[in-house]
Order: sequence, then structure tokens, then C-alpha cells
Amino acid sequence: MKRLNTYFVRPVLLLSGLLLAFNNVNAEEPTPLNIYTVNYPVKFFAESIAGNYAKVTLPMPTDIDPAFWSPKAEDIAAIQTADLVLLNGANYAKWLPKVSLSLFKLVNTSSEYRDSFISLEADVKHNHGVGGEHSHTGIAFTTWLDFSLAEKQAKAIFKVLSRKKPNLNAKFVQNFIPLQKALLDIDTELTQIGKELAGVPLVGSHPVYQYLKQRYQLNLKSVHWEPEETPTEEQWQGLKQILESHPSKWMLWEGKPADETVAKLEALGIKSIVFSPIANTPETGDFLSLMQENIAALKAISSVQ
Amino acid sequence: MIDSLYLAWRYIVFNRIKTITLVMCISLVSFLPFALKMILKESENQLMSRAATTPLLVGAKGNSLDLVMNSLYFSKEKPDFISMKAIEKIIDSYLALPIPLYTRFYAREYPIVGTSLDYFEFRKHTIASGRAFAMLGECVIGADVAARLNLGVGDSILSSPENLFDLAGVYPLKMKVTGILNKTNSVDDKAVFVDLKTTWVIQGLGHGHQDVKTITESDAVLNRSEKLVTASAKIKQYTEINLDNLESFHFHGDPSIYPLTAIIAVPQDEKSATILRGRYLSEQKNQQIVRPKQVIEDLLGNIFQIKEFIDAVVLIVAMAMVLAIFLVFSLSFRLREKEISTILHLGCSRSTVIQLVLAEVLIIAMFSAVLCFSSLLVLQNFQGEIVHKLFIS
Repeated sequence: MKRLNTYFVRPVLLLSGLLLAFNNVNAEEPTPLNIYTVNYPVKFFAESIAGNYAKVTLPMPTDIDPAFWSPKAEDIAAIQTADLVLLNGANYAKWLPKVSLSLFKLVNTSSEYRDSFISLEADVKHNHGVGGEHSHTGIAFTTWLDFSLAEKQAKAIFKVLSRKKPNLNAKFVQNFIPLQKALLDIDTELTQIGKELAGVPLVGSHPVYQYLKQRYQLNLKSVHWEPEETPTEEQWQGLKQILESHPSKWMLWEGKPADETVAKLEALGIKSIVFSPIANTPETGDFLSLMQENIAALKAISSVQ
Repeated sequence: MIDSLYLAWRYIVFNRIKTITLVMCISLVSFLPFALKMILKESENQLMSRAATTPLLVGAKGNSLDLVMNSLYFSKEKPDFISMKAIEKIIDSYLALPIPLYTRFYAREYPIVGTSLDYFEFRKHTIASGRAFAMLGECVIGADVAARLNLGVGDSILSSPENLFDLAGVYPLKMKVTGILNKTNSVDDKAVFVDLKTTWVIQGLGHGHQDVKTITESDAVLNRSEKLVTASAKIKQYTEINLDNLESFHFHGDPSIYPLTAIIAVPQDEKSATILRGRYLSEQKNQQIVRPKQVIEDLLGNIFQIKEFIDAVVLIVAMAMVLAIFLVFSLSFRLREKEISTILHLGCSRSTVIQLVLAEVLIIAMFSAVLCFSSLLVLQNFQGEIVHKLFIS
């Protein structure tokens, strides 16, 4: 009987205890929130704040501009399963008015600062990438390039996550504070760079820098060029017209421009730097590390000046 | 007793006109109060079941009954419109979750309900086949619509024009059926559900057409400048939304002022509901917030007052009928004096005569009961439709 106790009863008791403990751990572990976002900055903020307590998905392929993505019915069916759909606001996701999503789950992360949106004038249509022909009219939507707004956006995401999972509030606070600090540090750094670049004429290759220009007082004018496409003769003429009143020596690009374009710009005395809005998931690095690269590129201009 | 029943039966068969008249009268008088009770019970069930599960309704100020009947039962009386700003207001309050409703259009005789996916979750409706609407121009239909129009997933249904004589009106929209709801035994079985934005396309607030920048027909463009192209009515507008033309669909104007007929507000708790109601009472001059249950209770209160009156009338008619039947029988026995005398002369006792009379009454009562019960069974099958036509449509 004693041997039976040693060989059978004790292991069974031990196993039962382990199973009970395992079950208790599972009971305490909350189910991760299923979150969908419309661009990479919002995804990064949500992931940074929610940590392991959420699965955050950016549903479009990485090689297109998320603002001009055209989802298929299957994509929408997947998004409909989300617990939360975090929107950028400022009419960012152009596909949104054409699809059906639960109003209960949609969260506009920029609704608290909608008064700060920048209105755009009517613009001609153009085409790039897989997203198809589009125009930049209505409201400028790369709001996160004003890092004071990006901080507010991250705060809005923090609030909605806390409301959704109040028992995880302490964890979210713990994750939000370093993100908030990082965003405010970038804002301070860019403000300083803006002061150093005061009055220096710059050209943006695409009309996506409105918030960067406004917040950091940059003297910037934009053309409608694409990094991967060689500008047409008409586009070169347009640039030359701008240069007559705005003698810039620097052009900011969303992505690495074609060598031919860089060479032709250099012939005009214009150097190219990459300042990516990082709207879609990057191949390497993350939002903060790539923003540091953007800042380094801007610093290069200020050091030359 | 069997002999008495047989003799009574033969007498009844011989005097069939008199018997049928008596059976009809008794059945009708018995049927009326039961039928009335049944219809009122059904109307109470139908009206209250949806009203009780709909916590709050927001709509334009005006007749609260029209608002509730249109929002809950898609009745043809349309309340005034409110705008999408009302949705934003509820979202911003964090007190309730809003479900928009825009019930203005029809596909044949079935109402098109513009709403969000939350409606299905709120009403606990499930999809029997297919999927929920995902894109502009898709619809989910109720079980009765699918059965009566013989529609399945992948088929299409056209929206009906509001006015047949409005030649300049918007084109009907061909909507693709992506799902069919399980039977709900409610008005949702007879409705076509679309995304709210699809109803705005039906209204003409949003549309898709040929690209005005690439169009070649000269008479399709009235004026073309560097930044503005003015198209003529000749431009081809799409009457169906599919993957090929989805990109061309767009909305005009400010979406925050686009119309709705009502909003179902689902409060977080009772306290939130009270605060929200208070805000509408104090701040909103053009909108009202109502508890559908209260509105329907008021309506039922009126209906039950009418029922009490009808009950009194039926009672008087029944009393008159009993007197009439009594008269018919007494006259009948006076006419049958010779017959009864013959029975007595044949050696039958007076109790046998009474048995004969009772057997006649019993048979007539049984026929009347069967007829009354059968009529009630028939009514039971159609009571839903009758209530819908009487109190909802």
C-alpha cells in the first residue's frame, strides 16, 4: 500500500496540482484584443501600448500607400472580426466610406484634435504604386508628422484600450509613458531643427509634409513626384517654376528616389534626402528608429546651413 | 342516451337550415371575444417584444409613436430626418453605443433598412447562408424576402424609385445579396438590410460614374478647365456597384449632415441612459429621445381601452343571442307539440323528451365549438399578418 502511494498517488496528486495551477494561469491571462489599424504609425502606437495584450494587424500589403488601399470583400470580412478598428482620422483611409464596419468598433484616434487638421486645395489626380489613381484633396492626413498630434493620437489609443480592458490599465500606463516621452522628445528635437532651418527653402517630393511644415515652421513647398518614377518633362518644368521664387537646395523624399532623378536634381543644385512618413510597415526598424533616421537627415541640412 | 342522440341527430339533419343558422350564431358569438383576445395578445407580444429590447431611440422631435413604429417595425409613416451629427454626439458622450437607422426606401414592397452591422448583433440575428454586407451596394435579406422573391446568395434586388413620375430622380440601385438571415419571426424577416452608406447612394448623395477626366464624348462634358470638369446628364452613372466600378463611387457634401430616420442608443447602464435622456431634454431642441417600451405601453393602453368597449358590446350581443336562441327553441317546441305528443303516446316518459332536447342542444353546441375552435386555429396562423396590417403597417 505504501509503495502504491509512492508510485501512483503522489504523481497523480502532483499532476493534478500542476494542471490546476496551469488552469489558474490561463484563467488570469486575458484574451488578446484583436485590433486592426489603417496605417503603420497607429499600429505602432497600439502595439507599443497594448504589448502582448493585443494582436494588432495592418491589413494591407506593405508595398502600397495604406491611405489609398482598395480592400476586397475578404479583407473586410477579416476586419469585421476585430474588437477594435483604430482609424487615423483626417479622412485618411479612403476605402472606409465604401465598406461596412461596426460603428461600435471604429475608433477615430484623432477626433480630439480635429480642429488642427489642415485643409487642402483642389489637386489634380495622379497615380503611383498598386493603390491606383488618386488626388490629395480635402484634408491633409499625415497628421503624425506633427509629433505633438502624434502624442495626442497615442494618448487616444491608450484611453480606448484602457476603456476596453480596464483591468489592464496599469500595464497600459506602464507602456504608454515611454512612448509618450519618445514622441515628445522627437517633437522637441524637430522644433529645434525647425528653428535652425528657419527660412531655408525646402521642396517636398510629395504633398505629405503639411503637418511637419506647419508644426516646425519649415519653409517647404511640394511637388507631385514619386520616388520610383522618373519625373516627366512637365514635372521638371513645374519644379523649375517653384525654384524661381523658392530657391531650394534640398528635396525631401518619401522613399529612396531613382538614381537618375537624384543625378538630374544634383545638376540643378538640389540634394535629395529621405524623410519617410512611414505610413506602411517598414522592412527594417520601427517607427521611432526610422524617425530618428529622418531627423538625422534633416540635421544634415541644418549642419550644412 | 344513444337513442336520444340518434333521434336528435336525425331531427337536426332534417332541419339543417335552422341548425346551420343556430351553429353559425353560437360560433360567431363565442369566436368574437376569443379572437379579439388572441389578436390583442399577439399585438402586445409583437409590439412589446421589440420595444422592450430597444432601450432608447433618438429621432427628430415630433410624433414619438411614428418614430417608434418606423424604427422598430419599419412602418410607412416616416419621421423627420436627423443628421449624422447625432451619431457623433452619442459616440462622444461615451454614454451609449449608437446604431443608425435609415428606413426611407423600398425594394418592391419590402423596406430597405440602412444601418450598421451592429444591428444584427444587437437583435441577435444570425446569417443562415452567405455573409454580412461588407462593401457598398451589398445587402442581407430577411428569410421571408428570400422565400417570397425566391432570392439566394449572389442574386440581386433592385431598389424601387420613390416617385414613378420623377424622371430626373436617382436611378434604382441593383444590390447584390450577400446573405440571408435566419427566420426571426419579426418584421426583420420582411426587410432588406444594407449599410447606411448604401441608402445614401440610393438617395443620390453618393454615386459612381464614368471618369470625367478621361471621357471622350464631347456632349458629356459641359465645361473643362485645368481643375474643374463639369459633366452633363449624359455621363454614364453606374446603377450597380461592383469591384470594377467601386473606386468611382464617392459622396458629395458634408457626410456629417447626411440623413437618418433614427438612432437606437444602447446605453452602458441605467445611469448612462438617465444622463443621456437628461441631456436630450435639456439641450436638444430638434431631437427627442424616447423609451420605445413606454411609447408602446401608451399605445397598448389605448388599444385595451377599445378592447374593453368591444368586450361590452360583445357581451350585450351575446345576451341578445342567448335570448334569441331561447326563443328559437321555445318556438321550435311549440311547433313540435304534435311530435312530442306522439312520442308520449308511444310510451316514452317526459324525461326521454327532455333527453331528446338536451341531445339536440349538445349536438348544436358541439358543432358550434368545433367551428369556433377551427376558426380560432385559422386565425392563429394569420394573426401575425393581421396584427402587422392592423397595428404596424
